[in-house]
This record gives sequence, structure tokens and C-alpha cells, in this order.
Amino acid sequence: MADELTTILTSFGISNEAFLAIIVVVLLIIGAVVVIIVSRPILDIYPYLLPNAKVRARKGRLFDEKHFSEIIEADDYKEITNYLRGFPDYAKHLDNHSIEKSLDIQLGETYSILSKIAPTDIKKVFVILSKKSDISNIKSLIAAKEANLSKDETTKLLIPVGSLYPTCEQLVESNTIENVIAGLDGTEYGSVLEDALSEYNESGMILPFESALDKHFLENLLSASSVPSDDNTRILHSYIGSQVDVANLKIIIRSKADGLKYDSINTHMISNGYQIKEWKLKDLMESDNVTSIVNGLDGTDYYQILNEALGTYNETDSISIFEKALDEYIVNYANSLSLKNPLGVGPIIGYLNKKEKEIKNLKIIIRAKRENNLEMSDIQEMLV
Amino acid sequence: MVEIALGTALAAIGAGVAIGFAGLGSGLGQGIAAAGSVGAVAEDNDMFARGIIFTALPETQAIYGFLIAILLLVFSGLLGGGEGLPITSGLVAIGVGASIGFAGLGSGMGQGIAAASSVGAVVEDNDMFARGIIFTALPETQAIYGFLIAILLMVFGGILG
Repeated sequence: MADELTTILTSFGISNEAFLAIIVVVLLIIGAVVVIIVSRPILDIYPYLLPNAKVRARKGRLFDEKHFSEIIEADDYKEITNYLRGFPDYAKHLDNHSIEKSLDIQLGETYSILSKIAPTDIKKVFVILSKKSDISNIKSLIAAKEANLSKDETTKLLIPVGSLYPTCEQLVESNTIENVIAGLDGTEYGSVLEDALSEYNESGMILPFESALDKHFLENLLSASSVPSDDNTRILHSYIGSQVDVANLKIIIRSKADGLKYDSINTHMISNGYQIKEWKLKDLMESDNVTSIVNGLDGTDYYQILNEALGTYNETDSISIFEKALDEYIVNYANSLSLKNPLGVGPIIGYLNKKEKEIKNLKIIIRAKRENNLEMSDIQEMLV
Repeated sequence: MVEIALGTALAAIGAGVAIGFAGLGSGLGQGIAAAGSVGAVAEDNDMFARGIIFTALPETQAIYGFLIAILLLVFSGLLGGGEGLPITSGLVAIGVGASIGFAGLGSGMGQGIAAASSVGAVVEDNDMFARGIIFTALPETQAIYGFLIAILLMVFGGILG
């Protein structure tokens, strides 16, 4: 056979060396094609390997049902404080701050860590998320000035996290809300608050400032995630977009329950969420009552969960049932997203969602222990 | 210049393909597993030993490729100075190299990805270690198939024995 092969090669005028060279070239081409094909998925996965391992390690330290049962069984919030001292993430803040503030600091640190470790293609979203602490501090400053709190009382309200914290600390010295706004000139929040100033002067309530800050935050978040280019950014966009939908729905439901009209609601709306687009938002804002809003959501995920809550709302006339249903929807939705891309953005969304849920539930339990003498089963029902 | 028979030269290409592609898969796999492990160790020092175990698993593909490459070099006469191989056996040797090379590439990468995920699962929940090892070991089978076929090709293709 070897002779036949040599004869064939010779008849084509191919020498042994040329035959070898051809085989080497063919193998190189096959090798190059294989390497290109197999390296593409690796390139998608690679940036997420380190952040995901870090995030999953932190996820393993989150409280499970057993922890929450033990916390709920505590006699008072002081016992909860002592319980949390057993967990380094919380213990490091509890010596210097109140329990609620320690929780806020821990959440702010979580946003900050995620903004540092997130891969480049999704980093912008997490950098904006980390500004939640700044927004919270500005809201606290404005509320403190409105309530004429002392400097010490105002300082106690601030969370020592976020790039704007030093500025906020200086603004404690300001005497009026106008001075606070002037002090924020040059930051992204200066113009946002100035725009809301006239509405504040008309109404005498600080709600327009809070609403404007929330709108600015969510709009930035949405725009940072609005050009999905791959599975990871698509999943992140659906998560952020759903949060925008829920924020819009909460405002619309609250406004309709208070009998507000389209024009009053429209200024607070954020366009182009995930499932509720602009035309749908307009329809919802023009609805006559809460029942019409729920019916108008037919065809979206929100219809079923809000429709189930409608009966309780009709009995109690309290919109908190809708807000709880929407909060639970976001938690469950984020949980489902976290399983969609386990080698991509999934674990990061999963951790963020679970950490926010943990802090929210801890605050609910602490408030219940501090202010009410509620049964454990009642507290359990209040949890997200 | 050393005279090398065409069959032996083809076997040398086979040896290169065997360790080249198997090593590529193993290297990528270990890199992926190591990146996951280092993140886990950064958060939890106790993860070092388990991270090393998961990172070492995708090493086997390179070992298979290395073994096959050594066998090809020895039995083709390139190492040890034996007789050169005929052209047909040389062509079989390329098949041998491709068999373990490509199987090792896929297996190594797959194992690396599974290892990185398992490290994440273990750092989240210690009880996941044994199950993580089992899942990570599964992509080893493709490399074993490639290794077996490479040995069979060498035995029945006139390279071994």
C-alpha cells in the first residue's frame, strides 16, 4: 500500500517532502479552526469566573431559613443585635452604629464590592447601583433639613458608604434644603433636585425630591443596561427593566388609590421598562381605578400576581398587598434569572437579589420587634 | 542532517497533534478551573486544598496526550533509534494523535468549566464537594475514549507490537 501511495504521489508530481508539508498545513488549518471555535465560548465565560466564585462564596454566608427562624424567635431587637455580632459582615459595624444603620452600611458595601468585581460589559450597571447609598444619603439630608434636625441627628442618618459621603457629611452644616441643593451643584444630582424645587415650593412636601432622585437613578440604570449584546447583558436588562416596571406599577397603583389623574402621575414615570412599554404605561395611567390597572396588565407576568392580590385589596382597601406581591415577583424573577446563566451573570444577580432580600427581611423583623409585640407567625408572614 | 523515514515523520506529526491539542484543552480547562478557585480562595482560605483538587482534575488529558506522544516517538524509531515506520503506519499515527488530541481538547475544556462551577458550588455549600467531584469527573470519559482508540490504533495499525 505504501508503494501505491508513493506511486500516486509521484504521478501527481508530489515529493515526500511536499506531501509532509501538505499534511502539516492541513493539520494547522484544522487546528486553527478548532481553536477559534472552542475559544469563543471560553472568552464569554472567562471574565465571569473570578467574580462568580467570589460572589458564590458570599452567597454561602447569607442567612437561610434556619437563621431567620432563630432571629424571629429573639425576644427583642437587642437580642437580634447580639445574634448578628456572630457574623463578621454585620459584626464589624455594630460596635459603632445602630443595627439599622449597620444593615444599610452592609448593603452599601455589597453594591460597592459588586461594582468593583463585575466584568467590564456589565460593570456600568453595578457602578450605578452602588450610587444607591449616595441617593439614600441625599434623601436623609433633605428629610433632616425639612424636620429641622440637629447636626448630630442628621449625621446619624447618613450611611458612611458611597463616593458622595464626604460631600454629604459637609452638607450637614447647611441650614436649608436650598443650601443642600446648592451644595450638590456640580454633581449629577444638583440639576435633578433643582428641577424638583418648584414642585416642593408649591406642595411643601419633600416627596418631589425623593421621586426625582428615584427616577434619575432608575433611568440611569435602565440606560446602562439598554443595549443588550449577549446573553449576560440581555438577562441583566430584563432584571433591571423588571425593576423599572415594578417601580412604575407601584407609583400608578398608589396614585390611582389616591385618586390622582394622568398628569400628576406622568412626571414620575420611567419610559420603556421590560414588559410595560410606553403605550401600555399611558393606558395604565389613564385607568379609572386599581381594578382597571390590574385588568390592563393582561398579557404580562404582572397580571396574574396582581389579580391574585385583588381580592384581598377589595377586602382591606390597602395597596400594600400589591407592593408585597410585586416585591415577591422581583425576588422570584431574579431567582429564575440567576439559574439561567450559571457561568455568566446569573450568580451575580442571584447574590444581589438574596442580599437585598436578607437586609429587607432583617429590617422588617427588627421593626416588628422594636415597635410591635407581634406573634412570630405574623412576622413570618410579613417577610419577603 | 539526520535521515528520517516519511512514516516516522508522519508519526512525529501525530505525536505533536496528540500532546498539542490535548495540552491545549488541558491548559484551557485548568486555567478556567484555576480562575474560579482563586476567587473562592480569596473569599475563603479554607478553599485552597479543594480548589487545588478541582484545578488538578483537567491535568489528566495532558497526561494521556503526553503518554501517547511518547509511545509514538519511541515506536516510530524517533526515540531509541529503532527502525523507521512505513508511510501507512505514519498515517495511522496521525489518526492516533488526532484521536487523543481532539478528545483531550474537548474533555479538558469541559472538565475545566465543570470544575470552576463546582468550586463555586463548594464555596457556597461545603456539602457539595463529593457531588462536585462526580460532575467534574464526567467529562473525563471522552478523553478515555480517545486514549483507548489511540492505543487500539497503535496496536492494530502496526505501530505497537
